[in-house]
Amino acid sequence: MVRRFPPSALFGGGAVLLVILTFMLLPLAVVIMSSFTASQFLVFPPQGFSLRWYGEVVASTAYLEAAWVSLVLATAVTIASVAIGTTAAIAIQRRKLPFAAAFSGLFLSPLVLPTLIFGIGLLIVFSVYGDGPSLAAIWVGHVVITVPYVVRTVMAVLADADPFVEEAARTMGAGRLARLWFVVLPQARSGIIAGGFFAFNVSFDEAVIALFLRAPGVETLPMRIYGQLEFSPSPEVAAVSTLMIVMTVIVIVLIERFLGLARVSG
Amino acid sequence: MGFLDLKNLTKRFGDFTALDDVTLEIERGTFVALLGPSGCGKTTLLRIIAGLERPTAGRVVIEGEDITRKAPEARRLAMMFQSYALLPHMTVLENVRFPLRMAGGDSVARQRERAREALALVKLDPLADRLPRALSGGQQQRVALARAIVSEPRVLLLDEPLSNLDARLREDMQIELQQLHERFGLTTVFVTHDQEEALSLADRVVLMRQGRIERDAGAEAIYDDPGTPFAADFLGAANLLPVTPEADGAGVTLADGQRLGIEGAPALPQGRDLELVLRQEDVGILEAGADPGEGRETLAAEVVASIFLGARVRYVVKVADTELRVLGPRQPVFKPGTRVALAFDPAAIRWASER
Repeated sequence: MVRRFPPSALFGGGAVLLVILTFMLLPLAVVIMSSFTASQFLVFPPQGFSLRWYGEVVASTAYLEAAWVSLVLATAVTIASVAIGTTAAIAIQRRKLPFAAAFSGLFLSPLVLPTLIFGIGLLIVFSVYGDGPSLAAIWVGHVVITVPYVVRTVMAVLADADPFVEEAARTMGAGRLARLWFVVLPQARSGIIAGGFFAFNVSFDEAVIALFLRAPGVETLPMRIYGQLEFSPSPEVAAVSTLMIVMTVIVIVLIERFLGLARVSG
Repeated sequence: MGFLDLKNLTKRFGDFTALDDVTLEIERGTFVALLGPSGCGKTTLLRIIAGLERPTAGRVVIEGEDITRKAPEARRLAMMFQSYALLPHMTVLENVRFPLRMAGGDSVARQRERAREALALVKLDPLADRLPRALSGGQQQRVALARAIVSEPRVLLLDEPLSNLDARLREDMQIELQQLHERFGLTTVFVTHDQEEALSLADRVVLMRQGRIERDAGAEAIYDDPGTPFAADFLGAANLLPVTPEADGAGVTLADGQRLGIEGAPALPQGRDLELVLRQEDVGILEAGADPGEGRETLAAEVVASIFLGARVRYVVKVADTELRVLGPRQPVFKPGTRVALAFDPAAIRWASER
């Protein structure tokens, strides 16, 4: 028989859930609704309804350029991050690497270290030993902070995969490269895709490192939004943000449709 | 020298000795079972043959060639895993083709043809284009079997080949394995913890215990005469009774002082902890004091429990504080607590001792 909770507990639990959902979803709802405002300023509740600000965004060279920079950056970050993170995860999980635990900790450390401190450190390093702030420097910073996502997801997927498949491939004559290609990478596939998705999103969304390492004339989308909010908070910002949300949702739907989100995240 | 020679193999994992100086010669075409409880070293031995584990000491020699240090991918052996280990993203046909693809000898068309032939042997050719996850467990295992034999390996290794299957599929698989073995004469080594599986499939049963070979004999021989108490117990269906031999060798004494004449029984073995082995099918149950018949010996016993099996009744009886299992007819029925006599021909006695 199902144990019944007392009504007071049900009520309390429901209230907590409601608060959590409110704080998770309300900010998004506010942004989305504000983007349709007809007024000149970013206000809530929105006044009237208009798609004007979407038109402004699409017509704005600054936004389009910033979006393009962010897209190129996030793509380059994802490629590097997936390559490094997958390799590291396979080495740690499958190849009986010496000091595997230490390596695992090292690769996951950017998740817990403060990005702000890392950004300052990276700025100093690039200023002393390199050409100072640049898009390439942001790229390096983003790769460092996104690698842990790939390492984590790939390691999790490999931990669940049957290790005997690789041994079976060995007995069938598959050498190291053949095993990597025919066994390990297919086993890691869903982790690679999930990790790559996280890496892309984190990079596309990242403002702290980008602000520290911004070179004159280089602007990513988050930097553009941040700058605009600081100086003239127009509803354009809300429209851009809504577009970003929509884009993320589309990617999630695509992953869900072709891979199954449960498989990817689990 | 055998076809596959395992010489003085020892494997230690830290302080644990999984294999302790195991030597085994396997002739070409034999079907060998490595039997034993978990942790006895049988799987380690199989993995050492496959090359997936390096022995701490000893050598693996096949057809006169020492392959101890050879990588598994270069050994030209095949192994079927307990979990089947199919490549989940490849179709059944591609799975079966995989070993040929790795070997790279034939053209792709020829590889496909051979893979289809192997699938036909296990009657799965209609499912060639499915993915493994669309198949039942029994079908997946037959794919694994087809994949193992497709490249005509020198030795076929099977890890618990029947353990994941239900009773009916086990029988199918058993027949499948026997037929394949008869047809191709593949030298096969398989690991199992199930004595029935070992006895029904293998020509030769190697019983292992704590990293050593306890007993190595033909399937019927090992069942008939287990030789050691451990073997008798592990092979099942045997009644074991600790006894002490008399000085003149004419009889043995039980723990409760009963004497048993052993004229006509096999010679007493060397070794400690002598036990008398009696199969339940060789023992009759009689009223206490009844005439056992010409040349038969009796032991006094007490009925502990009776289990009605239909045509017969199984009795659990106690002799000198040891419980034995015997079969009796439907009539008469002996109630628990009844004094009875166990009667048998001394020629049916087998001895077991620690060597």
